[in-house]
Amino acid sequence: MLNGLDIEGSSPLHRMPVRGKLLLLFVAAIGLFLLSDLRLLAPALLLAALVYLSTGIGLAEAFRRTRFVLFTVLLVAAMNWLVHSPLEALAVFCRLSALVLLAAAVTATTGISAFMDEIARLIAPLERFGFARAADVSLAVGLVIRFVPEIFARYQDIADAHRARGLPVRPLTTLAPLIILTLKDADTIAMAIDARGFRRH
Amino acid sequence: MTTRDIVLIALFTAITVVLGLLPPIPLGFIPVPITAQSLGPMLAGCILGARRGALAMLLMVLLVAIGLPVLSGGRGGLAILAGPGAGYIAGWIAGAFVCGLVAERFVRESQAERAQFVAFFAAAVIGGVGVVHLLGVPWLAHAGGLTLVDAAKASAAFLPGDLIKAFVAMLAGRAVLAGYPLLPQRA
Repeated sequence: MLNGLDIEGSSPLHRMPVRGKLLLLFVAAIGLFLLSDLRLLAPALLLAALVYLSTGIGLAEAFRRTRFVLFTVLLVAAMNWLVHSPLEALAVFCRLSALVLLAAAVTATTGISAFMDEIARLIAPLERFGFARAADVSLAVGLVIRFVPEIFARYQDIADAHRARGLPVRPLTTLAPLIILTLKDADTIAMAIDARGFRRH
Repeated sequence: MTTRDIVLIALFTAITVVLGLLPPIPLGFIPVPITAQSLGPMLAGCILGARRGALAMLLMVLLVAIGLPVLSGGRGGLAILAGPGAGYIAGWIAGAFVCGLVAERFVRESQAERAQFVAFFAAAVIGGVGVVHLLGVPWLAHAGGLTLVDAAKASAAFLPGDLIKAFVAMLAGRAVLAGYPLLPQRA
């Protein structure tokens, strides 16, 4: 149910280290916000689109993934058109869409495990001072991926139970049982984790 | 942080993901359909308390960042965190924390039912609505080149839906407190 948004391939972006990609994205974000000239922003958008497509994602999938964010970008641009000027609106549209497409390109070329490794490395300095433990973060991420399908199935059971009794399925009556039933599992799961010694101190 | 706390945080994040899988409810009188997912920060604060609630939402943002399609409509990835609505997503963390603080401070198991309802509603409105918009609006204004007032006006379109959600969070928070109290034992 929860599959990563990365796609397989061997494009230059795929081969780049994760930290390099994130740093480049960060620099690009700062750069895009410093630019205000449409003559530079429009080519930047074109370049970002080319970078995104260079991942081998295909036009349809590329659009499907970014259409919601691009729609909000369009709304923001429309508001700019109303309160500022059409030129301003175009600049905002180019700047934000370029940033969104570049970010989507990083996501498309970076696997979940590569990201998790990078996060473990970022947490390492904190770990030395006892603020956080990288192993705990990976454990939590793993637990979410493991339990989402189960909780969704449980929601459907509760909804079925409603229908069987001729009750309308409403968030008001489904949420509380869903949450209580799910959180009550926490004790068993925690015991199972401790029994296997996953969190050695 | 005990293993149980980590499991509770992860399970709550998973519940928030599932809330995004439920079909959105269109309401006739407001322009944006309601997704149950933004109940996440309110429920996290009201049920798990400030620290665990905020960590559950932090985990949610982490899952978005590493490219899992955990947001409603199967959205996810860094593109969301680079878009104009990113402030609202970041606001979930602070929102859950403040919601949890208010709930921890004002909800007592020994209280009358009505006092608990009032406290949970206040927690959901202050943390889950107020703080989320407080972080969402400035980023929308900055990223979109809008004035704070214009950004706040755009943000106001979500207010009626958010208040309905705060009401739902209030009922769910109180039901969970009655059925399986976690709020009193803080992490």
